[in-house]
Amino acid sequence: MLVVLAAFFVVAALIPILAGRLGNRIFYLTALVPIGAFAVVVLAAPTVLAGGVLTEGFQWIPTLNLEFALRLDTLSWVFALVVTGIGALVLLYCPRYFTAHDPSVGRFAAHLTAFAGAMFGLVLADDLYLMFIFWEATSVFSYLLIGHYNDRIASRGAALQALLVTTAGGLVMLVGVVILAVQSGTTLISEIIAEPPSGGIITVAVMLMLVGAISKSALVPFHFWLPAAMAAPTPVSAYLHAAAMVKAGIYLIARFAPGFATTPGWQEVVILLGVLTMLVGGWRALKQHDLKLLLAYGTVSQLGFLTVVTGYGVSGVALAGLALVFAHALFKSTLFLVVGIIDRNTGTRDLRKLSGLGGRHPALVTVAVLAAASMAAIPPTLGFVAKEGVFTALIDEARSGRPLSQIALYGLIAGSILTTAYTARFLWGAFASKQDVVRTPYTDHGRGMFVAPTTLAAAGVAFGFLTPQLNHWLSGYSDTLPPGATAGAELVLWHGLSPAFGVSMLVLAAGLGLFWMRDRVYRLQSRVPALVDAGRGYWVSMRTVDRVAARTTAITQSGSLPAYLGVILMVLLGTVGFTVIINRSWPPTMLPFDHPAQVPIVVAMVVAAVGATRATKRFTAVLLLGITGYGLAALFALQGAPDLALTQVLVETVTLIAFVLVLRRLPIKLGAKHGTAFRVGRAVLAASVGVLMAVVVMITLGVRSAQPISLQFPALAYELGHGRNVVNVTLVDIRGWDTMGEISVLVVAATGIASLIFIKQRTGSAPRLAEDEGRRGLRARLKPLTEPASSRNGGAGDAPDGDQAPSQRTWLLAGWTLAPHNRSIVLEVVVRLLFHSAIVLSIYLLFVGHNLPGGGFSGGLLAGLALAARYLAGGRFELGAAVSVDAGKVLGFGLLLAVGTATVPLFFGMNPLESAWWEGSVPLLGHLEFGTTTIFDFGVYLIVVGLIIDVLRSLGAEVDRQQEEHAAIDSTGPIMLFGERSTR
Amino acid sequence: MNALVPLVVLLPLIGAAAALVTGRLPRVQVAVTVSALTLALAVAALLLFVVDSSGTLVVEVGGWAAPWGIVLVVDRLTALMLVVSASVLLVVLFYTVGQGLADGDDETPVSIYNPTYLILAAGVFNAFVAGDLFNLYVGFEILLASSYVLLTLGGTRARIRAGITYIVVSLLSSLLFLASVAMIYGATGTVNIAQIAVRLQEIPPDVQLIIHVMLLVAFGIKAAVFPLSFWLPDSYPTAPAPVTAVFAGLLTKVGVYAIIRTETVLFPGGALSNALMIVALLTLVIGVLGAVAQADIKRMLSFTLLSHIGYMIFGIAIATVAGVAAAIYYVIHHIVVQTTLFLATGLVERIGGTTSINRLAGLLKLSPMIGVLFFIPALNLGGIPPFSGFLGKLGLFVAGAELGTPLAYIVIAGGALASLLTLYAMMRAWNVAFWRSQEEFDEHSSPYTATLAEAPGDVEQRSTREAPRLMVRATAAMVALSIALTVFAGPLFAMSLRASEDLDGARHYIEAVLPGTVLPEVNR
Repeated sequence: MLVVLAAFFVVAALIPILAGRLGNRIFYLTALVPIGAFAVVVLAAPTVLAGGVLTEGFQWIPTLNLEFALRLDTLSWVFALVVTGIGALVLLYCPRYFTAHDPSVGRFAAHLTAFAGAMFGLVLADDLYLMFIFWEATSVFSYLLIGHYNDRIASRGAALQALLVTTAGGLVMLVGVVILAVQSGTTLISEIIAEPPSGGIITVAVMLMLVGAISKSALVPFHFWLPAAMAAPTPVSAYLHAAAMVKAGIYLIARFAPGFATTPGWQEVVILLGVLTMLVGGWRALKQHDLKLLLAYGTVSQLGFLTVVTGYGVSGVALAGLALVFAHALFKSTLFLVVGIIDRNTGTRDLRKLSGLGGRHPALVTVAVLAAASMAAIPPTLGFVAKEGVFTALIDEARSGRPLSQIALYGLIAGSILTTAYTARFLWGAFASKQDVVRTPYTDHGRGMFVAPTTLAAAGVAFGFLTPQLNHWLSGYSDTLPPGATAGAELVLWHGLSPAFGVSMLVLAAGLGLFWMRDRVYRLQSRVPALVDAGRGYWVSMRTVDRVAARTTAITQSGSLPAYLGVILMVLLGTVGFTVIINRSWPPTMLPFDHPAQVPIVVAMVVAAVGATRATKRFTAVLLLGITGYGLAALFALQGAPDLALTQVLVETVTLIAFVLVLRRLPIKLGAKHGTAFRVGRAVLAASVGVLMAVVVMITLGVRSAQPISLQFPALAYELGHGRNVVNVTLVDIRGWDTMGEISVLVVAATGIASLIFIKQRTGSAPRLAEDEGRRGLRARLKPLTEPASSRNGGAGDAPDGDQAPSQRTWLLAGWTLAPHNRSIVLEVVVRLLFHSAIVLSIYLLFVGHNLPGGGFSGGLLAGLALAARYLAGGRFELGAAVSVDAGKVLGFGLLLAVGTATVPLFFGMNPLESAWWEGSVPLLGHLEFGTTTIFDFGVYLIVVGLIIDVLRSLGAEVDRQQEEHAAIDSTGPIMLFGERSTR
Repeated sequence: MNALVPLVVLLPLIGAAAALVTGRLPRVQVAVTVSALTLALAVAALLLFVVDSSGTLVVEVGGWAAPWGIVLVVDRLTALMLVVSASVLLVVLFYTVGQGLADGDDETPVSIYNPTYLILAAGVFNAFVAGDLFNLYVGFEILLASSYVLLTLGGTRARIRAGITYIVVSLLSSLLFLASVAMIYGATGTVNIAQIAVRLQEIPPDVQLIIHVMLLVAFGIKAAVFPLSFWLPDSYPTAPAPVTAVFAGLLTKVGVYAIIRTETVLFPGGALSNALMIVALLTLVIGVLGAVAQADIKRMLSFTLLSHIGYMIFGIAIATVAGVAAAIYYVIHHIVVQTTLFLATGLVERIGGTTSINRLAGLLKLSPMIGVLFFIPALNLGGIPPFSGFLGKLGLFVAGAELGTPLAYIVIAGGALASLLTLYAMMRAWNVAFWRSQEEFDEHSSPYTATLAEAPGDVEQRSTREAPRLMVRATAAMVALSIALTVFAGPLFAMSLRASEDLDGARHYIEAVLPGTVLPEVNR
């Protein structure tokens, strides 16, 4: 069975490849799969019908108890025969149904074959979850098949509708399935049915599963999707929406009835909804003009009927019910295929336009009449046998006087009358010669299309005579149910003049009467408004979902950053605040400060921070922020961490410079202020969060009982890290891994700045004179720099020109490249003189860092500051002269050094970043210990330098250039970052 | 074998350094990047094998013993996350290469993109292997800093705007995380996760609760949990397709990973389970409503992304071995499927010129291949069996039903609803963008999409009618990977279960890092 099942999907996957070559003949090939499957099922008959079962499978996800378990018992056998047999016939019908050279045929064949596989799997699956998997798979393939004509809006809408309705039901069912499996402790349906659990939660689970069945089988209130699904090609209607998919719900009900028919609510749901659906469907069928829609509503009606009889839960009814499932599959597919032939050969399905087909096409009429006879339960068809069986059993049941049984009996009788009426209407509509309607033209598309319907219709009659065999086949299932009022019920063609036969004849007469009065019925129908239009209900609920979604999203996604931050902070305040309020562990005592100097520093920091939020100019805000940073440095210094303080000061300075560079291209004033209410609210929020954090810190510090690990650090640093500067040893050794991470952040930051400013090009160093470019290019580039100096308008001859152009050898480049009013010669000279000393100092800091304040970080920052000074004093070409390497390369080498120090020890079987040491004395520096940590620190140094070069190069030099370029093009005002014109 | 652990972080960093140095040679740079990630993937796969067969690996960086130095810890959860994220990163890299080569840019934006991408990878991997809370913070910083750069690539107005939202919110979350680390250090005097786990047991439960909530808020922002998630749809979709794909697939999951660690190692016992359940429910439902309201596929996907974070939170909130195992499987599934969908949407943008379903039509006819590459992950995301989205959901529902509390059932119902609405949003997009014909589009607008919200600042891209082959292949590889999650669901679920058993009660983790620690009895 596994192999057969797999074959469906393998072939489906291969079809698109083959379809191009074979065209419509592809269907003959694909039909082989269901034919093979049919043969396998038939061959299993001896075992299954003798009461045995065939099982096959493997564990799939043992953790979830999800087993790929297949099981073939009587019920599965009947359904599998229907699925594979009709599937094969429908595929054989297809080649003639589609026009030749239709490019979508391959897709269609693939979907239909895969659907057949899913359906085959569904009726074989013994694992609840596996069954659900195939259940949903049928929904998806049905979606693809209904939407086959995807350029038609109706097809797409119907496909989505069918998918959503059946999946909604499916998801509800999934919850039920999960509960049932969890409560039963097994996922095998056979085991669950053998020992059905019970209880309140099981009742809920079973009801949820019924919702799935109801939606799949298009029962009220979900019936609307099935008629809409008629937008699909007719073979799909014949297969999915008559024989197979819609029967999945019926199968589920039949499958679980033996275990759960006595669950509270089961019978009520099954009988009431079933009867209601039968009546609604039949009533609507009488209104239709499209033959396909007529059949679709007829199917809805029949599905209601089937639900009642398969769910009733008594063996007599179930036996007849299963026969009816079989009968329905045969006659309804036939009728759909007949409609397909009519549609294909005449170009219409509208019964108001069809006329006079009956007389001309006896074969077609014969097939249709045989199937219709089965539908209307006229002897000697299988439909008649099954319905007789149902009435016989239900009449016995109704004798008990139980209201539900009465409803079932009389409801089904009423529904059957409607069935007879619309059957008659169908035959009349399709074949009768009507007055005032011209004879419909008819083009024959070959006998090929007749194979399937003829076979099916013939089978429908033949089985009417095979009742003993049917009894034998089907009783394997029905005997698993309690006998109910009728003991030993069986299907017979001729009961004699029993009450059931009377009912059948009554139904026939009444139905024909109804058809006879069709004009009056039709007028009545048009006067009675549809009480509930479920299709409209779907539309309205989907639009409601859309509307609710739009509203909710409009509220949550305001697009305002302050709003998002506000929400986050309020969540923090609400949740953490709540836990603080219920907290009982407050510290017993508190120290206001460690050192009196902390107080003024903190006050200054608070004032500066508050001031920054109130500043109107960007520059003021930045300076005030700087104060908080320097204040922090002071606090570090007071805590005895000169190293941190030094680094903090340098970082703060570099940050300030970067800020100032950026501020040149931003409007001076900060953006517009919002209303005071907002401001007050935000201030309160900010203050509350601040207080909250302080309180939390107080509480958490108060509960500490264990020794902090940092107490060990000085000893560890000295003994194992070879350094007296515990901060540095921590940075480059004990927690070197963190530092490695942080420097990669620096690398990224540098790259990011460059990326934003240069956008297109990352590589390259700061601009240098006479680099890469010819003289002409150089002059062109220099021109805007020197020209705007209006004071020099007479001195054009002073501009670098021709052979006089500066080369890199010039000591003070600014003389050539900066306008005089931008120059300060004293500053240039001082910076130039101090530059090398600063670089030497920075290298000193790098090397002594292990024992004294310093290290790669502060060293790098100092070197960077020196470069910044060069740039600020002499302009961008001065910067280019100071560093001629690509910043990216500096960063890359730095990272390579640091990461290399971490990696190399691995090759020696050591831990990453594990350090090695050499000692020795170096002139001037004295006795030195040199460790691999210093290499690491040098990497840090390079990266910091690289970052600052990138900052200067992009925020400084490149922004200069862009600014000058813009100024040269348009001197009406400063230009904002990202090309936005200032609105000042 | 221990050497493998740091290598997974070091390889991408070395690659990044080399990529920076070779910035002027784009082809060399690409080769370097591809090899670094390929090696990292190989290392990760090897780690998974080693850890699964012989137990958790602990590396003491620099030879400094725990708890003083930094430890890197690879248990099954970490190894799984490493393998999945390395695979995704590698495939997306190929996609990017395909895109870059097709654009004919020899210099842009590759010279920035590749090193940054590698550092992002290093950050993600570092976050997974960190056995030290502060180092976890560093990992976050690395990946966030890289993500800032990648998000604002090209510096267009829309990206800068999105970048500001993203950066500021991320900084706030980092600040909260850092503050939490400080507070934990204040209370316990350590940053070693295992030692924190031990020492937290010794402090009063009400203070534990404060820290617990602080951490969850900080991680909740990163994981995009409602109502801390509003920033995400406003920032992710504007980035280039592969960048969005990686962000959507990986970054939020790092937050989820941190939440898993918080709930299993630091605070075992599920003290906040009920609160998390409610959060999961809201995340699921409100998120998916956002998806339903969008016309832009990228934005819609961003909303499904945050909606489905709710599933993972649900699994964590169930706080049983089965619940956490299902959450782990769901994380893996979601990384793969969400990335795949964004890549497929990138292809859509390429052939259709836009990602708004109001302006897309006839794509199936234009490229059936891209149709398949979109349809399968779309169904997968919608939780349609037999795909991994369904299996993950099934695992969560089963775990929830086993727990059996009313609240669990309510969240299950919410999960089912979210699944249905996800499917609705995805299939609506399919209906309109792929099925609708171009002729019909030219004639009239669709009633389905008239009311949908467009992405702000949306600009039509140039379309090429045909996507570069490498991009299509990379997407196909992702689809294949997502299908593999179904085919090999058995072993994967079993692995997730073992990973979850490792985490149960933190005992295993603590014993691996600090052997011989006497543990107080955990209240469960």
